[in-house]
Amino acid sequence: MSTPQTLARQVPFRRLVWVETRKLFDTRSGLVMTGILVAAAVALVVGRAATVGPPRLFTLAGTAAVALGVLLPVLGIITVTGEWSHRTALTTFALEPRRARVLAAKCLPALAAAVLGSLLAVLVAVPATALSASVLHVEPTWEVAPRALAGWIVVMVLQTAQGLALGLLLLNAPAAIVVCLAGPMLWSFVAAAGDGGQAVAEWLDLNRTTGVLMSGELTGDGVARLVTSVLVWVVIPMATGVARVVRSDLH
Amino acid sequence: MIEFNRVTKTYHGVRALDEVSFSVRPGTVTGFLGPNGAGKSTALRVLAGLARPTSGSATVLGRPYTELERPGFDVGTLLDAGAHHPGRTGREVLTLGALLLGLPRSRVEEVLELVGLTVKESRRVVGGYSLGMRQRLGIGHALLGRPRALLLDEPANGLDPQGIQWMRTLLRGLAGEGCAVLLSSHLLYEVEQVADHIVMIGRGRVLADGTVAELGAGRGLERTFLDLTAEADRSLA
Repeated sequence: MSTPQTLARQVPFRRLVWVETRKLFDTRSGLVMTGILVAAAVALVVGRAATVGPPRLFTLAGTAAVALGVLLPVLGIITVTGEWSHRTALTTFALEPRRARVLAAKCLPALAAAVLGSLLAVLVAVPATALSASVLHVEPTWEVAPRALAGWIVVMVLQTAQGLALGLLLLNAPAAIVVCLAGPMLWSFVAAAGDGGQAVAEWLDLNRTTGVLMSGELTGDGVARLVTSVLVWVVIPMATGVARVVRSDLH
Repeated sequence: MIEFNRVTKTYHGVRALDEVSFSVRPGTVTGFLGPNGAGKSTALRVLAGLARPTSGSATVLGRPYTELERPGFDVGTLLDAGAHHPGRTGREVLTLGALLLGLPRSRVEEVLELVGLTVKESRRVVGGYSLGMRQRLGIGHALLGRPRALLLDEPANGLDPQGIQWMRTLLRGLAGEGCAVLLSSHLLYEVEQVADHIVMIGRGRVLADGTVAELGAGRGLERTFLDLTAEADRSLA
């Protein structure tokens, strides 16, 4: 059989992505997870609008980050670890033995959810801002710096990618969730432990290093810190995890 | 159709498979018979590209599994009937497979009917299925792409006598259409019911390979099986 035919007969990548996307929503736990994510984001935006004035669109939308920053990485972790907790990897890899393609197809919908979740927060913030302004009889602030908005979405994507990377590395949802969520707390301890700790946190704490994306002040030093922390928390664990999954024997 | 060529698999210095060689021809049902821990599942996983042989090779249609372009159309696999997300419905499990293979939804209905799961049962989550129902679902999943070869690991586990009867008819029918069927079991009785060819394995080695009539000649199938496995145990003890 010739090579072009071989390529044509492979399961198309978009079909793999579609199937993996469907797997996110075709179980009760998946639906509950999505429901909580949307509800929490909306509730935070609306809650902030109801309690704090005068309203600024970007501040209201940004409030959703509290929920998205926790739930999106968890969604990513569950997506990539699910096949191991339910041993369905046997079935999945029997239908598509090129395992790296399957893993890539699993990561894409989670990353897309990060973008969509951020956009949803902005969308909900629009009526929330208008309503809050009319109730408080103040002028709302509609201006949003495009760079800040883009930076904010990139931060959400990076946090989700961290969840995916840790999930792939550990292949165990509870362990990956603990590492992912305990991170910010641990970094505050590290940063509090003298100048050395402070310096380490400035280079490795994703929450700090991604700050430059939001502020839009991408200086050389800031970029170096950002790249370092993304390498350590996203690129290296993901590459290690993928390599292990591709090579390992399934039981 | 299916070929094992001197496959050896070592886990942490232990030989789970030791130079395993045998083949499954189209149009036959081959029973892969051996006591628990003999290496049956390991062999099937090596064949399905899920574990790598330490040496030797296993091929389907002349190629290693991982080099098949769309294995779902070449080989149907049921390697662990319990391996389903408990929150997914039986219908959804089949739908995911059909979508991946690019098959129409009508194929899901056909397969449900083929394995005897009712529409109502198919809408229930797999977590509530009996082992027998999971086996039926797993066999249905394996058959989605109308494959030319079938690998089934302990498919009769949990099936009631009617279920075993059903499976026998189904697998004989598939073999009659030219399919190469390889099924593993640790129960001689089950294998005897369906297979026309038997490969006996013990301690990772092929102990006997022949037709049911050949292996049963003289001492009888059960005696042959027990003697051979006891011998394999002694030689390694």
